[in-house]
This record gives sequence, C-alpha cells and structure tokens, in this order.
Amino acid sequence: MMNAKVEQRIGNDFIKVEGLGKTFSENRLMFGSPASAVRAVDGASFTVRRGETLALVGESGCGKSTLGRLLLRLIEASEGEVTIDGTSLMGLSAGDMRSMRAKMQMIFQDPYGSLSPRRSISQIISEPLEVFGIAQSSRQRRERVAELLTQVGLSPTFMDRYPRQFSGGQRQRIGIARAISVNPQFIVADEPVSALDVSVQAQIVNLMQDLQQSRGFSYLFIAHDLSVVRHIADRVAVMYLGRIVEIGSKARIYGFPSHPYTQALLSAVPEPDPETRTARIILKGDVPNPANVPTGCSFHTRCPIAQDVCKVERPPLAETAPGHLSACHFAKPNPIPVS
Amino acid sequence: MTETLVLDPAQQSSTATKPLLKVEGLSVEFGPKASPIRVVNQVSFEVNPGGSVGIVGESGSGKSITSLAVMGLIPSPPGRIVEGRVEFEGVNLLEMQKSRLPDIRGRDIAMIFQEPMSSLNPVMTIGDQIGEAIKLHEKMSREQRRERIIELLKLVGIPNPEGRLGAYPHQFSGGMRQRVMIAMAVACNPKLLIADEPTTALDVTIQAQVLELMHKIRRTLNTAVLLISHDLGVIADVCERVIVMYAGRVVEDADVKSIFRNPSHPYTRGLLQSIPRLKDERSRLYQIPGSVPLAGTIKMGCPFFARCPDRIGKCAEEMPPMFTVSRSQRSACWVTAGAASEANGGATA
Repeated sequence: MMNAKVEQRIGNDFIKVEGLGKTFSENRLMFGSPASAVRAVDGASFTVRRGETLALVGESGCGKSTLGRLLLRLIEASEGEVTIDGTSLMGLSAGDMRSMRAKMQMIFQDPYGSLSPRRSISQIISEPLEVFGIAQSSRQRRERVAELLTQVGLSPTFMDRYPRQFSGGQRQRIGIARAISVNPQFIVADEPVSALDVSVQAQIVNLMQDLQQSRGFSYLFIAHDLSVVRHIADRVAVMYLGRIVEIGSKARIYGFPSHPYTQALLSAVPEPDPETRTARIILKGDVPNPANVPTGCSFHTRCPIAQDVCKVERPPLAETAPGHLSACHFAKPNPIPVS
Repeated sequence: MTETLVLDPAQQSSTATKPLLKVEGLSVEFGPKASPIRVVNQVSFEVNPGGSVGIVGESGSGKSITSLAVMGLIPSPPGRIVEGRVEFEGVNLLEMQKSRLPDIRGRDIAMIFQEPMSSLNPVMTIGDQIGEAIKLHEKMSREQRRERIIELLKLVGIPNPEGRLGAYPHQFSGGMRQRVMIAMAVACNPKLLIADEPTTALDVTIQAQVLELMHKIRRTLNTAVLLISHDLGVIADVCERVIVMYAGRVVEDADVKSIFRNPSHPYTRGLLQSIPRLKDERSRLYQIPGSVPLAGTIKMGCPFFARCPDRIGKCAEEMPPMFTVSRSQRSACWVTAGAASEANGGATA
C-alpha cells in the first residue's frame, strides 16, 4: 500500500546529470609547494525523477556538497551536462539561468549562517517573491509570507521578528519557507538537519516529507547520517572521493549493499540499541587526500576485499540488479550481518 | 518490575564497590549573582571503578558543563559551582586546595574534547605534547619517556609511531588527532577518562575506529569512562549506565538496557522514538513538540512539562524528585512514578 503511494508521487525523469565533473585547481605556489588540482567531482551521472528524493551520502570531503551546487550551477562545472525538464542548464545565458532559478532552490545546513541577521523574517522570505515577480504589491507579499509561515508550522505573527529571536529548528523552518516560496520543482537540501538537536531533527524531517507530499517537488538530499537518509530517501547515491560508487533504491542500498564501501559505511553506524550489534567492518586508515587520489579503484587502499586488479583498473559503475549500480570489480549484494 | 517504589530520592542501594566518582547535588550558575542563570541543577550520579557511564542530552541540557565542573574547569567568572559535592575516591574535589588539583587532573582524571585540532598545540610536535603530559606527573628519564610515548602511540593505533614523534598536529587527519588526544589522556594511566563528544566531529567510519579504540583502552587499562554525547548510538555502544539530562537536570538514570528497552521518563521515551534508525519501517518519525527551553528559563515544576504528552497538573508546579523505578533505574517523573506506585498497590515504601 505504501508502494502504491510512492509510485503515485514519483513521476518521470526530471533531472538528468551526465558525466558531471569539477576540478578545483590551486594556482598559488606558496613556499614552493607544487600546484595541485583537486578533482572534487568526477564523472557523476544519474537522474532525479519528479517528486522523488535522491539522497547523496558520503563522508566529509567526498564531493557531495560540490555536486549539489553544480546541479544548481552555483559553481560552474568543469565538464558534463545537467538537463532540467529537457532544458540544458550549461548552455543557458545569465538571464535565462536567473528565471530557471525559480524552479530550483536550496536549503542550507547552518540555520544560523544562512539567514541575514539584519533582515526581518518577512523580508527574508519575500525576497525571492520580489526577485521572481511572484507577488507584486507589498500587501500580496505579506499575505504570501503569512501563508508560507503557516505551511512550515510557524505563526504568521513572527513575520516582523528577526532571526536571532528563533531557535535552530525554527530558523530551519524559515529557510524552508524561503525555499518553497517560489514554488520550486527541485530542492537541493545540503545537510538540512545535521546541525539540529535530535528532537527537533524529527520535526524538520517530517515537515520536509509533508511538503513534498503536498507539492510534489524533488529533493536532492545531501547528508552524512545514514539513519536520516533511510527515512527520507527513495533512492540513494553513495560517493567516495568525488565519484559515485553505488546508486540504487533505498531498499536495495540498505538491504543489499553491494559496494564494500557502502557495506562498511552501513555497518559503522552505531545502533541505538545495546543488544543488537552489527558486525562492524572497521576500515583501515583515513580517506586519502583528494588532491592525490589512488590509482585504479580509489577505495582500494582501505578496501577489505581489494585484489591486485583494483590497484590498476578503475571499476565502472555497472548494474548489479535492475536500477542498482555499483562500481566494484567484486560487487556482491550482501545484507549487513548482525551478530 | 516487582521492585517496590521507593519515594526517597537520595537513596540508592549501597553496593559493594565504592564509587570512583560520586557527584552529589551539583549546581552550576552563570551570569551576575543578582540574576543568575542556573545551567546545571542538582545533578547527582556515580561512576564505578572501571565502569562506563554516559550522559546524554540535547544542546543546553547542561551535560558538558557537568563534565567541566567535575574537572574543575568551569570558567569563573562568569560561571560558579553554587552547591554540591564532586567526590573522587572519597575526596571532595570542590573543597580541595586549588594548587593540589593538577595532581589529580591529568593523572587520575583525564579528559578528551570534541575538537581535536583546537585542543592540540599547533606549534609543538606530537611527541613533545604527549611527553609533556608524562613529564608533569611522572619521573622518567628522557629515554624512558620516549619509549613510553612510542608505546602510547602504538596503543592508539598510529602507524609508524617512531617516525611520527616529530610530526605536528596539522599533518594529522581529524581521526588521527583524536587518537593523539586519547594517547595524551591515557599517558599516566588515569582511573577516569572524561570524553566530551569525542566522535561528533568525525566521519562515521573514523568514529567506528575511535569507538573501537575506547573499548580497547577500557579493556587494557581498566579505565572508567564518563562519556558525554548527544548520540544515543554512541552511548549504547560504549556505556553500561546512562544519565539522561534535560534543561540542566537529570531526568533519568538507569542501566543501558533499561534506558533503551524500558525507558521510564517521557523525555527519554520521546527521544528514543524520534531518532531515525537504520532498520525501521516507520514512514513518519515521532516528534516531540516544541523545542528545548533556554537555560534558566524554567523556574518552577518539571522542565519537560511544556512538551510532555503525559503531563498532569502537579507537573507545572512541583519538580519531581528522582523516584526509584526498579533496582537499577530511577526517573524524575510524577506520572510514571504514580503509575508504578499504583501497579504496586499504592505501596510507597
């Protein structure tokens, strides 16, 4: 029954990403250090369907936030293509890009840093309305702001207050109201709940789900917390050192992860239960320096099942089951064992 | 659940082992004396030798201030300990001469913090920093000290320790820095290790490594651990006992199994229900309404009153004491205490 509901919500492909990449180069030669280039995102290809939530997970420095910003063209890509609703984003002029931005919005991680402290709540939320000419008169805008505040669970009487008067959770609601004010079809949410307390986190996750139900937009949900993602995502993409190493439906990724990195990541999450303990796969060492990515499969330096071939040959992202792709020479769907 | 309800909040069954650390009625205030803000209110708990106790709570619950108070590290002014006792091996640290505190701090009680970068000296080598901790508390020759530092780095799993003695903190990753911090903390075989959110700044695969290391430290050195965390998963992994704090107060104190299987306080229950888990099929998360109150804003009654689904009239007026729910579980709630009391035929021994 839940499946039917999900099917109904999710439509056709809305965003297509093909071979998207970004190289940040360091030009400054300070103290004679060699110029280095960091491949933050490398050859990302995937789609996001209408009304769907695709989660992008990975550890710090894996390029997930950069990928999210590339999709909105907040950073210019080094190569590759993003198509939204059939329109190529990369070819758009500045003017066309501006009107395209009404379709795509962003929710930020830090509810303290993402709201201007000197502007009232109504000014913050009505700015996009003004920019995109959605509500012309100031009366219309105030009505719209009141409506939006109600939709995100805040009282319209808060309109003339300032961000400092609100808690982290309330500020995140304000950020969400601002994002949905222009009726976007696609929202990139970059770690939207990771700065919040546990009890408030649940409120925001539920709110984001409710809004998607009623408005039908798609989310790219960037997060490092696999338990939160388990709740909100329809599909999950796992990134490691700039590359997508596994992508598939939530049921596949959590039930049958096939990349050894995904398996380690899932097994490393400490369960809030002292009695069921997963057999933890402890990875050796740290994530390598992104300026100096290992040859072959970039995970081979930490991989518990790496063979000689992994050091020289980079495994392509290949299908292991319908709709479930994994970039591993020895990909094997494997439920996480519980001891 | 056949325990009789004991209405005396201070009574805890006397156990054979004497606690290593005993905190009693600890209160900490900040701000001007005329209008103080109480951030820790009447907190009591115990840590047994070799035991592991977790303090869990959301931001503003007072969990970090409690741990700083134990270490005598409350910045004063503006903060001050206004009442209570902090007994370490039977000696009240709060009444101890200030000049004697460093003998205990760093040797018998050590602490690690959330942010390993800001807790390490950036212009001092790793070897010198660990050496300093040893030099302060133990008489050793330079050669012996070097041996000890290498041994410690090995213990915390730093590869090629001989070669890393001359390295600086910036040459280490976050996980490696936290290992160095742990090496410094356990340099003098402390009896108690206080860890304030030790893995919060780390990635999940690195967190798994550090948690594994904490288990190893406990096993090999028999160090007692007081772990402060907001992450119930980390708490469940490391701790035998759990203290739940809310708005400066302890609201529940129980063995880890009871906390997760049979939580008694409505806040603990709400917290457990609101966390997403890797293995659950709920389509919606339970949410506790409202938000955590600002420190010091609740002057009367139960601090959780405004958000509590089970509240009754009495909760608004009177702060519930810690009721004994079972042999190893106590909770500060009028409603659960009342229900337990009724189940026991109104017996209030």
